[in-house]
Amino acid sequence: MNGFTKISLRVSLLLVVCFALSRGAAGTVDDAQSFALQAAEPYVKEGFQVREDYWGGDLGSGEKKAVRQQLFKGNEYWFWLGTEVERAKVSVHIYDSEGKLAEQPDSWEKGHFAAAHVIPKSTGSYFVIVAVEESPEERTHWALVYGFR
Amino acid sequence: MTAFSRSLKFSAIALIGATLYAHAAQAPQRIDVKQMSKRVENVVVPLPNEIFGALNKLGSVNWREYVRTEKSSNFTERPRIALLLGTVIADGFIAVQAEDAPAVKEIGQRVLNLSKGIGVGNSITPHAKAITDAADKRKWENVRQELDRTQSSVQAAMNEVHDEKLSQLVSLGGWLRGTQVLTSVVTKHFSPDGAELLHQPDLLVHFRAQLQAMPEFNLPIIREIQSALDEVRPLVDVGSSHISPDSVRKINEITNRLDSGIVTRD
Repeated sequence: MNGFTKISLRVSLLLVVCFALSRGAAGTVDDAQSFALQAAEPYVKEGFQVREDYWGGDLGSGEKKAVRQQLFKGNEYWFWLGTEVERAKVSVHIYDSEGKLAEQPDSWEKGHFAAAHVIPKSTGSYFVIVAVEESPEERTHWALVYGFR
Repeated sequence: MTAFSRSLKFSAIALIGATLYAHAAQAPQRIDVKQMSKRVENVVVPLPNEIFGALNKLGSVNWREYVRTEKSSNFTERPRIALLLGTVIADGFIAVQAEDAPAVKEIGQRVLNLSKGIGVGNSITPHAKAITDAADKRKWENVRQELDRTQSSVQAAMNEVHDEKLSQLVSLGGWLRGTQVLTSVVTKHFSPDGAELLHQPDLLVHFRAQLQAMPEFNLPIIREIQSALDEVRPLVDVGSSHISPDSVRKINEITNRLDSGIVTRD
């Protein structure tokens, strides 16, 4: 192997390692989902069935996104939001079809986790509003999971 | 209790109260729905067991009456297989409600065969095995979870190969079968609360828009579902009024017709 090939190989290897590290640091929506599921864990013991599907993406600091969700009277729901950016602050809130805040007072926000508890007064469409309130990152991945019983 | 500890307790209660108030103050009590509707990017389609759970709380349902295990026609058209797959997964949830282990196992096998027919069998094999194992042990919660995982894996596999439209048909098939059973139960034992579970106008709009965007799936059953959604919408889009027994019966007739179209060859 000549000197040029050796150097090229080393540089390529270095680039691959740098790329892998930067990907690792940036995280993914799947990472955010694992945090959302972590927030959901204690509720599973209380009989909540957590759905396999999740919704996610990335948001800038101060940005919001809405998800429309059909809820059924008689069921009780928890929505859990998470991000892998540990210094971020996220929030999730639920509004009914008329735009009125519909969540229970035990809904909570704790840094990069947030949860909203809903016992629907009527069957219909609700708005789930997710937000990245603060984040040191330019874009912050988020994932939302929900469970019902 | 000393005066100090009393004041400490009072301070703690005040602090908790203040924290709760602070939290409540963070979220606006109202939002502009029209403005927010423009920002909605995702619509979540409920699983049949979510509706069945709410229905169960209104009174006991004889789920065995709705268990279906007979084999449906074999299709070669992928949209038809996708619709049928959604329907069969919904049948799985019904069999779980009925706690019918042989039916659950048979349905698990059918789900696997249909998934193979649509090219996503590999992602389903472990779930089909888990369904059978959990049904043998009568662990119904695990079966429910595996059915949910099955649907999620099927749809993820479809999305991966850019078959999102087929994935949407799986959800639609499940929703139609769920609605058929819901309306059968409520028709038999009518209650305003039971009928209210049909109040899903936004989902109808969502499905209608998705079908509209599938001109390449030029099949009679797809066209039939499109016009049926238009028939159903005014029956459930009643605002704060009640959905009538007659409307429930009509929706049941419509969904029976569609179900028969989904499971049998034209």
